[in-house]
Amino acid sequence: MPNPRPDARGPRIGVFVCHCGKNIAGTVEVERVVEALARHPGVVYAARHEYMCSDPGQDLIKRAIKDHRLTGVVVAACSPTMHETTFRNAAEEAGLNPYLLEIANIREGCSWVHEGPETTDKAIRIARAAVEKVKGNHPLAPTEVGHADKCLVIGGGVSGIQAALDVANAGYEVVLVERSPSIGGRMAQLSETFPTLDCSQCILTPKMVEAARHPKIRLLTYAEVESVSGYLGNYHVVIRKKPTYVDPDKCNLCGDCAKVCPVRVPDEFNRGLSPRAAIYVPFPQAVPSSYTLDEEHCLGLNPLRCGECAKVCTVGAINYDMREERIEEDVAAIVVATGYDLYGKERMTEYGAGTVPDVIDALEFERLLSAGGPTRGEVRRPSDGKVPKEVVFIQCSGSRDPELHKPYCSKICCMYTAKHALLYRHSVHDGTAYIFYIDIRAGGKEYEEFVVRAMEDERILYLRGKVAKVYRDGDKVIVWGVDTLTGKRIEVAADLVVLAQAMVPSVGTEELARKLHIACGGEGFLKEAHPKLRPLEALTAGIFLAGAAHGPKDIPEAVAQGSGAAAKAIAILSSPTLTHSPEVAEVDEDLCSGCAVCVPQCPYGAISPGEVAHVNELLCEGCGTCVAACPSGAMRMRNQTDDQVKRMIRVALGEPVEVGRG
Amino acid sequence: MRGKPKLAVYWTGGCGGCDVSFLELGPALLDVLSQVEIVFWPALVDTKRADLEELPPRSITATLVNGTLRTEENVEMVRLLREKSQLVVAFGACAHLGGVPGLANLASREEILRTVTGNGFRLAPPPGGDAEDSPPELLGAARPLADEVAVDYTVPGCPPMPSLIGPFFEALLSGDLPDPGHVFAQEQALCKECPRTREDRKLTKVLRPHEALPDPQECLLDQGMICMGPVTRGGCGAACPKAGMPCTGCVGPTPEAGDPALAMIAALGSLVRAGDEGPAAFAAEDRVLDTLVDPLGTFYKYSLPVYVRARRAA
Ligand SMILES: Cc1cc2nc3c(=O)[nH]c(=O)nc-3n(C[C@H](O)[C@H](O)[C@H](O)COP(=O)(O)OP(=O)(O)OC[C@H]3O[C@@H](n4cnc5c(N)ncnc54)[C@H](O)[C@@H]3O)c2cc1C
Ligand code: SF4
Ligand code: SF4
Ligand code: SF4
Repeated sequence: MPNPRPDARGPRIGVFVCHCGKNIAGTVEVERVVEALARHPGVVYAARHEYMCSDPGQDLIKRAIKDHRLTGVVVAACSPTMHETTFRNAAEEAGLNPYLLEIANIREGCSWVHEGPETTDKAIRIARAAVEKVKGNHPLAPTEVGHADKCLVIGGGVSGIQAALDVANAGYEVVLVERSPSIGGRMAQLSETFPTLDCSQCILTPKMVEAARHPKIRLLTYAEVESVSGYLGNYHVVIRKKPTYVDPDKCNLCGDCAKVCPVRVPDEFNRGLSPRAAIYVPFPQAVPSSYTLDEEHCLGLNPLRCGECAKVCTVGAINYDMREERIEEDVAAIVVATGYDLYGKERMTEYGAGTVPDVIDALEFERLLSAGGPTRGEVRRPSDGKVPKEVVFIQCSGSRDPELHKPYCSKICCMYTAKHALLYRHSVHDGTAYIFYIDIRAGGKEYEEFVVRAMEDERILYLRGKVAKVYRDGDKVIVWGVDTLTGKRIEVAADLVVLAQAMVPSVGTEELARKLHIACGGEGFLKEAHPKLRPLEALTAGIFLAGAAHGPKDIPEAVAQGSGAAAKAIAILSSPTLTHSPEVAEVDEDLCSGCAVCVPQCPYGAISPGEVAHVNELLCEGCGTCVAACPSGAMRMRNQTDDQVKRMIRVALGEPVEVGRG
Repeated sequence: MRGKPKLAVYWTGGCGGCDVSFLELGPALLDVLSQVEIVFWPALVDTKRADLEELPPRSITATLVNGTLRTEENVEMVRLLREKSQLVVAFGACAHLGGVPGLANLASREEILRTVTGNGFRLAPPPGGDAEDSPPELLGAARPLADEVAVDYTVPGCPPMPSLIGPFFEALLSGDLPDPGHVFAQEQALCKECPRTREDRKLTKVLRPHEALPDPQECLLDQGMICMGPVTRGGCGAACPKAGMPCTGCVGPTPEAGDPALAMIAALGSLVRAGDEGPAAFAAEDRVLDTLVDPLGTFYKYSLPVYVRARRAA
């Protein structure tokens, strides 16, 4: 409806109120909102539609922009995260600068959360506030920038490998940075995988080899990201690659060096269940396929101190003069796939872990089950190498325990514990397996069937309840617990106890997140931009998350996320230029004193200090934190000035809006 | 304007430093004095209230008042001066914002009197004097000049520096006066004039000036000293920070900063750093800020009466 008293020269604003079916119209009297807004100063036209986002709804807006020569538009509808782009594009098609259109969120912020007559009153206030904002808006144009043509993947577990392969196969260059001497991640340590019991390494190694051989992938192992600067499309990364002291092109994996090395330290890959030399290869199929000299444990990298390995290396692969390399790369997008660790078992004092040698964690058990492991796949316990006849598996060890440990469910432990018990029974036919569980969470394709198979075919004893205490008695490990289904106390004199430890983010995840200016959630896992609609994106544009670094996950999910993150990165790499929102902070140089109070405030490092502060428009995400911090009122948000905000607050808090019939 | 401009200078509840501050103009003061006629300046020439009362209204070109308003007599005098003057200038932090004596507003008048008269001292006429010779009554609170009379200009500072007094006299004597309400200082914050570097912005501890000898180059805030520079008008040339003392805000907050405590708290909230990110860091940062001794006296050293309502009788 046209405003009865339009102002001849002032703003000409159109207001479009959406019913959203019953989503809005169910609690908001839409007609009343239209009436009230039509009378609001500056509004020349107000209308409503069943579904404003539909084509006819958008046409209504476009027509009105032309017919009523609108200078600004307010769409009172759902959250701007849903349809702001839709409506701004429509405005642009009708010849109105898209930044002169604002959304008044009367759904999530109003109709969904209220009922009764005040709901309409609030909708009117919200819409009026948006009108006041539009009055102060200026036409803006997005900033266009070119971008680098590579993608960085951090973490060479299965998720990172998948992301790297997908980006590389789409024809773009990838830099894959892995901290340890080989790619493969945790999956390389696993024996067989649920629910199909494929050999983990057999399905993983082809991908590792493909990644190593791919002409588009630059593989940097034994390397870490030192610093990251820049913004979406143009990140500058500095990587430090530690010296391995072995030339991977010459090393033929003969292993003569390790035999003569006098050093023995616990082998990380076997989780300390076997020793290794100071020069070692984590596992035979390691990629790159080469020994690595661990300088921390080597006697001195010096022929005068030791030098035994270099003496026996017939191909001359060992070079004690190798230096750390500093590598710089410009990349358009970054995939973070740094995976997980297990929550330290020594924290489980109630389970005797750390003091009783035959209480081990789940990854140690994977190594015992692995053909390439310290026992060549025979299940033998660490203390005396005997084959255990009674094994107790404890699920949720450190998970779902907000008082003492981690509050969350590690999601995959039910599945791998069933796998562990099943593989144990395959290996020790006369053995007994007990599983203590709280409940079984087997959501996944063929997962429930797998657990049922373990329970029924393998006669594994599932005991519902928590273990109260574990202690050593002679060569036995005594487990006390309660079966809550029967109410009976249970005591098992076990030979081995396996703890399904909680999954936690890899060591250093928070530090890396800080370098990348991305967030970690309360438990330290990397945080996504939106838990439902943007699960693969960090809040910083151009940075994507994949795999267990983002939360507990199994292999299929980690791989799917790797591919998903790759698709996101490819979308950036394949676009000719990138645009950045112009709704960013800017400095009024006449007011700025250069105090630099704003500088540490910016979560994106967008502000540099100087005579006056300077905002890098491409880094600024428009969060407004600096604006609030600036004591001089010099920092301003484009199209969101203090003046606009004050006017919005004033109309929003103004006299109760008349809702009675006019 | 016929003849020399007529000048009055009066001192209410202050320390007297403002009267002395004119001397800092140096030889320029002689120039100024030769161009004005002093009609009333109790600290300098023998002039009494009766002389003032005799002057016709608006006969004084400009009156410079320094000091806070603390007694009923102060109020009577500034009203009288207002009536006799074309321009009234708030001179110095006390007249401008209430000044250091304004911190007395943290206690009620009764508490103050009780403390002061606790040792038997009483407000009474001098021996043999009349009741009307007794000391004037204290006001309920210290107040800035503008609370009582219209103020045309302000020359801020505690006391005003020659760099601020000079431009005022230039304007007055040339007749080229700025718009009413003008404050003879910068609109931009002091950091603009401060040569200290602000590269690695962070506040990891709070130090009082006597607790450390600051690095000569780095911003004092980054060294833990609460410098009011970011919220205070420039114009003084950053004399204090240059000498290793944090700015205490005597020139008053910038127009954009408004309430200096609120602006400074926001600034400190931005700069404080303790521990890693997350809720634990917030608690650690709170602990750092909690070590700030006397926040009110730090943030409102010169401006309490303007921004904080005086305490009522207890
Ligand atoms: C006992 C156990 C059994 C399991 N069994 C199964 C199973 O049967 N089936 C199944 O589907 N899933 C299983 N899983 C889950 C599986 O291990 C994970 O889903 C999978 O490994 C996740 O892959 P990822 O790439 O996300 O992380 P990871 O495998 O952890 O790989 C991360 C990689 O990133 C590297 N990295 C870490 N930080 C940095 C850094 N700062 N810079 C550079 N590189 C870094 C690490 O060195 C590592 O190589 C099991 C897990 C456990 C604990
Ligand atoms: S609004 Fe300010 S704090 Fe926020 S991203 Fe932009 S520059 Fe940084
Ligand atoms: S906080 Fe404000 S005044 Fe200080 S440097 Fe930043 S923009 Fe300038
Ligand atoms: S020392 Fe004070 S005035 Fe100087 S830059 Fe630092 S805060 Fe600003």
